[in-house]
Amino acid sequence: MARLAPGLALAAFVLAVAALLSIAVGTRFVPPETVWNALIDPGSSFDDTVVQSRIPRTVLGLLCGSALAVSGVIMQGLTRNPLGDPGLLGINVGAAATIVTGLAFFGVGTGQERVWLALPGALVAVVAVYALGSGRRGATPVKLVLAGAVITAILSAYIQAVTLTHPDAFESYRFWVLGSLAGRDPALIGQVLPYLIAGFVLALFLPGSLNALALGDDTATALGAKVGRTRVLGALAAALLCAGSTAAVGPIAFIGLAVPHIVRTFTGDDHRWLLPYSALLGPALLLLADVLGRIVASPQELEVGVVTAFLGAPVLLMAVRRMRGRA
Amino acid sequence: MTAVENRAGSTTVAPPRARPVLRAGHWLSIPVRRRSLVIGASLALALLVLSVLTLTLGSLGIPLWQLPSALVSPPDARASFVLTILRGPRLVTALGTGAALGVAGALFQTVTRNPLGSPDVIGLGSGASAGAAAFTLLLPGILPTPVGALIGALSAMALVWIGTGRGFSSPGRMILVGIGVSAMAVAFIQFVMTRVGQQQATTLAAYINGTLADRQWSDVATVGIPVLVLVPCALVLGRRLDLIEMGDELADSLGARSNPTRTLVILTAIGLATASVAAAGPISFVALTAPQVARRLARAPGAGILLSGLMGAVIMTFADLLVQQSPFGVQLPVGLLTAVVGGVYLGYLLVREWKKGTV
Repeated sequence: MARLAPGLALAAFVLAVAALLSIAVGTRFVPPETVWNALIDPGSSFDDTVVQSRIPRTVLGLLCGSALAVSGVIMQGLTRNPLGDPGLLGINVGAAATIVTGLAFFGVGTGQERVWLALPGALVAVVAVYALGSGRRGATPVKLVLAGAVITAILSAYIQAVTLTHPDAFESYRFWVLGSLAGRDPALIGQVLPYLIAGFVLALFLPGSLNALALGDDTATALGAKVGRTRVLGALAAALLCAGSTAAVGPIAFIGLAVPHIVRTFTGDDHRWLLPYSALLGPALLLLADVLGRIVASPQELEVGVVTAFLGAPVLLMAVRRMRGRA
Repeated sequence: MTAVENRAGSTTVAPPRARPVLRAGHWLSIPVRRRSLVIGASLALALLVLSVLTLTLGSLGIPLWQLPSALVSPPDARASFVLTILRGPRLVTALGTGAALGVAGALFQTVTRNPLGSPDVIGLGSGASAGAAAFTLLLPGILPTPVGALIGALSAMALVWIGTGRGFSSPGRMILVGIGVSAMAVAFIQFVMTRVGQQQATTLAAYINGTLADRQWSDVATVGIPVLVLVPCALVLGRRLDLIEMGDELADSLGARSNPTRTLVILTAIGLATASVAAAGPISFVALTAPQVARRLARAPGAGILLSGLMGAVIMTFADLLVQQSPFGVQLPVGLLTAVVGGVYLGYLLVREWKKGTV
């Protein structure tokens, strides 16, 4: 296990490079050394202004990528299911449903209220999907994903019905629902930060119990882990992280699914390594996807939600192919 | 040429129960169960009642006693408008798409040997929507919308076929991969929706739910011709399909080559589902629920292709009637109603399946 510690430094380095690229690459390319200078000693040249304008976007990417990846690890650990992802398990659509309700019927849902709207929706969706997908024999990946599809179908129909009858809500919804780091209000960072921090702090207490849970409920109880409490805390942490990120940048699929899978190939199933590595590599992947979106569609850009969906689906295929005999 | 005969006529030892057989020439003979005949007749009656209700209810409806004569020659301009423009094409499109989806669902569920295998669950609908979105809004004028939907649906199915690594033989994997493919398609649709004006985005949003509003006779043709061509194909394939349901080895040894048959059946199902998408947009869950309900009513295993088709048509006409006569003032797309009802039903099936331990 000791060999994994230096790797964390490497992961942090990868993240730093991704963050640097996220600031440097765009319609106007800013050379890395200029970025560095502008960060240390902000001047008033044009490049400095460009760098300043890209900082909020990068910070959002850092926070949300980390939140999504950590919530993915927690969901996969809690459900003992390699396909835990906020998008696949209906959490995003739960958050979207309450946000649309707020937008259409109460005229709220643009600023700080959005997190408060997203949170209950996300939590209810987690509980509903898990309840529908498990049952006496426990959850299997196919059951959970189908349960996610059921909840998604019902809630999407609701969202469509509301947005089709409320044009104003639709106008705001269609730009939010395509997860993107661009054009988000920098004030959002401060607004969602408390929820994300709460989620991360809760996640700090989880690795040991998630490891125990991986052995099955009975063994975990025998080992002294409090299974019920772990489930509740874990679901709360995952929902806080996911809802916070969704409220800030919209639903972004597959980061929560892909990052834990990539990390697992070199850490194994130990959550004490899985969580910190995912927290570092999640934002790296999100920022790189964002940069890629700016490169492929240059001089315009492709929203990061589209990029991750197209990068993430192959990872899902990989995950499915790996679960031999389980589906 | 078609007649119900008694197959047991010439045998020396009478079988316990004589089965009537539906024959057409040498190449088609379908054993018919009496219960299925009764259910089929009831469904046809239900369709008739629903169609009459669709044409007569509401302020623009044609009074019931005038309907028979109005169908032959409309008495006034208003009745003619209702019959030939407002509700007639809509009703026939509902019948056609419902039948197409019911048959497609029956074929899918039999081939995958999974009650949850349906074109919706494995991403055909979202693929078709993405195709339609691409060719109507991003690259307008190159190809008509139905062709775009066809390309989208076929690409989605190709991705599923490749993604499972085992073709269409592993239902669990098909569902998982299909959901991944759906996610990609949905991301693409949402992307398109942010690149166009609000009016176009609203039209697209209504289309991707599946709607029967403002259907024209061209939509009737879009779904009607494939139904008339492909449903007989499905019936011919149905017998081999019954054998496949018993397992590939047995089917192969009885001469129903399982892999080519499976591919043909899937192609037929995709053709039907796509025709329905082209005419009315992706209507959720009719393909999933119709065969299930038909199967339960008929209390028979097997494809039940005709019954599923009738059931699909009943569900669609009923859902569209509800949407048309909804008391809320606004007419929502019919696909929303089927999505909610079908979603709840899929949840119920899921619970049933995990009680039986088959998923």
